Amino acid sequence: MRAVTHDERAAAGLLAGLVAVLMAVTAFPILYSLWISLFAVNLRRPNRMPFVGLDNYIAVLSSPAFWGSVGRTALFSALAVAAILVIATLVALLLDQEFPGRRILSACLLIPWAIPSVVNGLMWKWIYDSNYGALNGLLLQLGFIGSATIWLGDSNRTLPLIANAFIWKEVPLAAILLLVTLKSIPADLYGAAAVDGAPAWRRFFAITLPALRPGFLLVTLYEAMMAVRHFDLFFLLTEGGPGGASDVVAWRIYVETFRNLSFGTGAAMSYILAIATLLMSYALIRGMARTL
Amino acid sequence: MARIRFQSVTKRYANGATAVAGLDLDIADQEFLVLLGPSGCGKSTTLNMIAGLEEISEGALLFDDRTMNNVPAHRRDVAMVFQSYALYPHKSVFENIAFGLRMRRVPEPELRRRVMDAAAKLEIAHLLERRPSQLSGGQRQRVALGRAMVREPSVFLMDEPLSNLDASLRISMRAQIRHLHAQMHSTFVYVTHDQAEALTLADRIVVMRDGTIQQIGSPDDIYERPANLFVASFLGSPAINLLEGALETIGGTLCFRRGALTVPLPACFRGDAREVVLGLRPEDVGPATSEAAQIHGVVDTAMPAGSDQFLGVAVEGAMLFLRVPKDVRVREGEPIGFGLTESRLHLFDRTTGRSLRRAA
Ligand SMILES: Nc1ncnc2c1ncn2[C@@H]1O[C@H](COP(=O)(O)OP(=O)(O)O)[C@@H](O)[C@H]1O
Ligand SMILES: [Mg+2]
Repeated sequence: MRAVTHDERAAAGLLAGLVAVLMAVTAFPILYSLWISLFAVNLRRPNRMPFVGLDNYIAVLSSPAFWGSVGRTALFSALAVAAILVIATLVALLLDQEFPGRRILSACLLIPWAIPSVVNGLMWKWIYDSNYGALNGLLLQLGFIGSATIWLGDSNRTLPLIANAFIWKEVPLAAILLLVTLKSIPADLYGAAAVDGAPAWRRFFAITLPALRPGFLLVTLYEAMMAVRHFDLFFLLTEGGPGGASDVVAWRIYVETFRNLSFGTGAAMSYILAIATLLMSYALIRGMARTL
Repeated sequence: MARIRFQSVTKRYANGATAVAGLDLDIADQEFLVLLGPSGCGKSTTLNMIAGLEEISEGALLFDDRTMNNVPAHRRDVAMVFQSYALYPHKSVFENIAFGLRMRRVPEPELRRRVMDAAAKLEIAHLLERRPSQLSGGQRQRVALGRAMVREPSVFLMDEPLSNLDASLRISMRAQIRHLHAQMHSTFVYVTHDQAEALTLADRIVVMRDGTIQQIGSPDDIYERPANLFVASFLGSPAINLLEGALETIGGTLCFRRGALTVPLPACFRGDAREVVLGLRPEDVGPATSEAAQIHGVVDTAMPAGSDQFLGVAVEGAMLFLRVPKDVRVREGEPIGFGLTESRLHLFDRTTGRSLRRAA
């Protein structure tokens, strides 16, 4: 066996404190919620806490309501990720051009990203508001609608509208990730393709798109993880409503845990969501590694 | 088939920098023309204007009799080898070479045949399935050449194609490129900052500096009859020796004088400057004989260099670097004399830098 050097021992000593803190703030809650998910914990009966094994998981997975929220989460995430990819690509392509005012525009585009999530939620709540909302105001003044619409009250519109607010906040980061990828494409490649006889749109498909692939995968991975676990907007805008139309998994976990005070099933649901997110990320990373 | 003409072409970049100023150049069909000059002198800009990758700010560019200023790159029959090679990273070697043909809708069987032909000539047939990232520098360079070759373009542009290769490969690739030119019926415009490369490859060399042409001529013209001090010192390795001095007419003969040194000059030089610079290439000295003009000095250093030796000789307060055969016995600190060949001397006006050689 190799001897441990002095440097390594010093490094271990220095790292030990950090590792201890990390364990306390991350590993402990993670393990503790795993532990809880194996018990029937209900704060309405705090003294009784029987061990139930995987019963919580079985209950969650066999509940049609849970699968309904899984479907809505998937729909919301697919909508959001697809739109973010398209819009962020367009924004990145725009910002990659040289034009006067480019710097100012790039700075402005960062604003949504800089806004705290809760502030973003409240802002969209105000925009969508049926009485004094900016959206109704705008559409009424432009004459697109005759009377004020209760935007979030329509169960067919709820998910797309929340997705819209989510997209608005997420596009800047995605656009910057893609812009970095665009900037890394050597200009000579475009020159070579032009000289080879490729008009602009051909150059886009032959060079820009393939070069953006790692960027697309990174954005998809990151945004899918964000969307699947997103909670703030559902909490601030609709509280899962109307009639469960925006009842996604993250919202359901909150309701189960903090309204029904059923910590055991809430924790089990969290674990199911976490594992699903991990599996999804793993699949995406595998895909990424294969295409790079 | 293409004759390329620049008519008073100026290129200004968006930041206001003038990269090329008032360029007049007439490149003959199927000529091998080399643009030579130090980094930043506007060679790439000139090449990119031919390719259509840079817009022309002023003046006209013609292919044969057609004005090309507003013809986009993809509509010009031009192929180009980039210094960075610019291979498409996501395509196989085969698809890299085939891309230009696909853009021109060459039918598949002919496309395959042409790619295979080029690959065989360049000895990269075994690499066709690989990605550019899996190739060595020399192999990438060949793929870049292949990609341009298969196009059989009327204009073949190369921007320092050999500068990223190691020295021995660079020499052998020169021969390949000469060979390529002989086989193809294309006009070659080749950019380099390497004077040796220019001298071996070119039919004609254009020496550039700060966006302007210093001299256009055959390699012999440029090397043996440089038009000014810049051209004289840019070509040749080691560089030409430059001795400052004055002109005097002694006994009816124009002479170069510097201190005790007097060099009678041949009739091919004009005497219409006082302050002059005498140019002497290191290899242009011989044994001192009574007929020839002579130059005397003291050996300062002697460095053997394979078949020859280089001498540093102090002459009238200046140091000359000279190349002499190895069998010339010298000792550091001893006086030495050389014979000069009149026809090998160069004379420049010290104020303007221009050659004082009479037009032939
Ligand atoms: N895209 C550009 N924008 C502004 N200036 C440029 C650009 N490209 C080149 N230049 C300038 O133009 C001059 C000529 O450049 P270039 O043609 O690349 O020289 P060379 O190829 O001879 O080294 C240089 O001074 C360079 O800094
Ligand atoms: Mg260059």
